[in-house]
Amino acid sequence: MSSTWLWFVSRAGGIVSLALLTVVVTLGVGSAGGRRPSVMTVGLHRSLGVGLVVFVLVHVATCVVDSYVPLGWISVVVPFAASYRGLWVGVGALAFDVLAAVLITSVLRHRLPAGLWRAVHWLSYALAAAAVVHGVAMAGADQPVLLAITVGCGATTVAATGWRLLRRSPDRVRRSSVRARGWT
Amino acid sequence: MTALTELVREAGLAGRGGGSFSTATKLELAQQHRADLIINACDGEVDARKDGWVIEHHLMDVLGAAAQLTTGRVRIAAQRDSVTIARLQAACVDTLAVPRHYVSSEESSLVRLAHGGPARPLTRYRPITAGGRSETGRRLRPTLVLNAETVWRIQQIRDHGAAWFRSHGTEREPGPRLVTMVRGVARPGVYEAAAGMTFGHLGALAGGFTAPVGAFWLGGLGGGFVAAADAPVARWSRDGLRRWGIGPGAGTIDVIRAGDDPWLTVTAALDYAAGESAGQCGPCMFGIPALFDDVAALRRSPDEEAVERLYRRLGQLPGRGACHYPDGIAGFVRSALRTFGEVPQAVPARRHRHLSVIGPQS
Repeated sequence: MSSTWLWFVSRAGGIVSLALLTVVVTLGVGSAGGRRPSVMTVGLHRSLGVGLVVFVLVHVATCVVDSYVPLGWISVVVPFAASYRGLWVGVGALAFDVLAAVLITSVLRHRLPAGLWRAVHWLSYALAAAAVVHGVAMAGADQPVLLAITVGCGATTVAATGWRLLRRSPDRVRRSSVRARGWT
Repeated sequence: MTALTELVREAGLAGRGGGSFSTATKLELAQQHRADLIINACDGEVDARKDGWVIEHHLMDVLGAAAQLTTGRVRIAAQRDSVTIARLQAACVDTLAVPRHYVSSEESSLVRLAHGGPARPLTRYRPITAGGRSETGRRLRPTLVLNAETVWRIQQIRDHGAAWFRSHGTEREPGPRLVTMVRGVARPGVYEAAAGMTFGHLGALAGGFTAPVGAFWLGGLGGGFVAAADAPVARWSRDGLRRWGIGPGAGTIDVIRAGDDPWLTVTAALDYAAGESAGQCGPCMFGIPALFDDVAALRRSPDEEAVERLYRRLGQLPGRGACHYPDGIAGFVRSALRTFGEVPQAVPARRHRHLSVIGPQS
């Protein structure tokens, strides 16, 4: 099946996914690095995180169904298996796999060791980076608007991460000063 | 259930570390899980001396009972660089050297320390006697933690029987019990006492009070106060002190002399308490310093808003946090407010004699 609307829907799905992902990551970084997050923040982080999956699925499904580019179902899951622009589609596939892992571990969070959930959730930073790289490489060349949105998303994530790394919260200060007293 | 557990249940022995939990129940759980044993001789409560006293005078009894309690590893925990640990090491006992922090001698702190972790309390979903996991998911072996005096009492029950044990103390709190007389008596030190005794009787054990008493401070940071005016009707037991919202705790009795400012003692203790958080739970690491700030501010200048804030915070501290340390501190401040006035007394213009430093000593 090949029609221009599939192509447009696919691109729109991709860019909306990226924008939502950026919001979810920023909310997550904010809750993890700051003071105790509000119920609102946590709720948004969770529901938007689940919601963005719909757009990712639309993005992926329309890409595959659209026969304008040769993409198989395997190559959206297995990284670097695509013949069409294998490297950059592969980065997208990688992001898709990580997203699936983060989602599944979060749903099963209370049945898993706390450390496993946390370790997988840390991969979200790689997920955000991969999504931006995938976006810049696939849609950057011909569409300045898409490029601007993608770069903007990347910059937002970088800024949030920087804030988390540099922030000296009262919590962190107190914990580290107590830890310095020697407990073993 | 073994014959010894049965005997301990018959004697009605309760833990002497301050919690007063049924020792037989703990022993039963420990046997089910083949638990190791840690004997707590840390004297972690402010001004407590009795664990060290037990090790000094009855170490053989303690080790004798321990051998009957478990086939697993037995260790005696004592504060690092203390006289007690030096004494234990000289006797070639398997020891656990505990950092000198208030919460480090708490049950789960000791178990974590014994597994190579930090001596900080752990959030538990079942008794640590049945085993548990550290916050990183490491398995912690089932470990029974008993106070040194408790273990000594078990040996006494083996030697003299449950009836002898029940001939001391009260019906509901039987058995001899050690008391640490801290200050304000002729001969401060550790004495054999029992639940249900009067304060006059306890004071007489230590040669009598050296000055008129304003109030008694019982059980350190986990305890509270009884005004001297109330003392004649109070009895040194959980039942006899219930009306004042406290108990004998770890068995310390300090004297605040009549005419001395009790709030000096309270703020010094609270200052020490604020620095003793393990820095794990918010209500503890921020709440206790906030309580200290409130009380200190009210002593500089009382105002309505600060009083309201103090009482609000007192209500917010209990029931949260891994080891209930904040619960104890909130209870301590509440007891001070009940005993010495509903608002911390402002410091009068004249200078006060400075109080001795409060903290665990060796």
